[in-house]
Amino acid sequence: MIVDGFVIAGLIVCLLSTVICLGAAIVRQPPNDITILSVAAVEVFLVVYLVSAVVRQSAGQAVSGEGWEFWGYLVTALLVPVGAFWWAVLERSRWSNIVLGAAGVTIFVMLVRMEQIWDGAAAI
Amino acid sequence: MRGGRLPRDGRGSAGRGTGGEAAAVGTPAAAGRNRGAGRLLIAVYGIFAVAATARAVFQIATKFSEAPAAYSLTALAAVVYVLATVSLAKTGTLWFRTSVAAVGLELVGVLTVGSLSLLDPVLFPSDTVWSVFGQGYGFVPLVLPVIGLWWLYRHRPAAQVLGQSNPA
Repeated sequence: MIVDGFVIAGLIVCLLSTVICLGAAIVRQPPNDITILSVAAVEVFLVVYLVSAVVRQSAGQAVSGEGWEFWGYLVTALLVPVGAFWWAVLERSRWSNIVLGAAGVTIFVMLVRMEQIWDGAAAI
Repeated sequence: MRGGRLPRDGRGSAGRGTGGEAAAVGTPAAAGRNRGAGRLLIAVYGIFAVAATARAVFQIATKFSEAPAAYSLTALAAVVYVLATVSLAKTGTLWFRTSVAAVGLELVGVLTVGSLSLLDPVLFPSDTVWSVFGQGYGFVPLVLPVIGLWWLYRHRPAAQVLGQSNPA
């Protein structure tokens, strides 16, 4: 995998969101504006990643690996922060902030996998 | 969101950090299983359910003949994770038993496949969820059923009946 701007930006956004959410859970806060907005930032990052992937794809710089695996990952990843938000606000306890924090970790792992596929790694 | 939405039941607020035990007091038996930390457990199982299902579909659709045993196991893992996710989220004794069965099967699976993948790498090429005790997934598949069974033990229906008559 080539470590490009997307990986670095994704690492920062996802890590920051996870740290904020876990920190809020440690001080026993239910999900609040800050933790929810940090997860929203992860979603915004994914939308930017989606748009740039579409642009790169249509500009001739195609996915090197399995195309449908890459897009499958991306569509699933876009649903993760939404699902975490939905699951977290149904019960507003400190544990819900850890659920929100798990979204950042999950998205970063999925981003690494998407980057591997983009650079042509073999399918798992 | 602040102030815009009240906790559904008035018990989900901050400061009830002990989670399930506190929530279980005064509620019907087995109601605490899908609350507090239980919701995190369900969320993690949900992630693994999606991951294993997607992977099983991909492997079986594209390269099933390469390693039928391993890819069938991915499909079995997917079923186990989906069943665990759903049953942990539901209330009631039947769903509790289903949870124990699913999480227990997960533990047996990860231990068996983890051992076999080390002893016989040809039978299990290292690309199932449970290979090398879930190494590809940060060993979460190994830790998750242990935490899950402990959580279920703490929230077994009988213990909650006892907890209500004898608060500790």
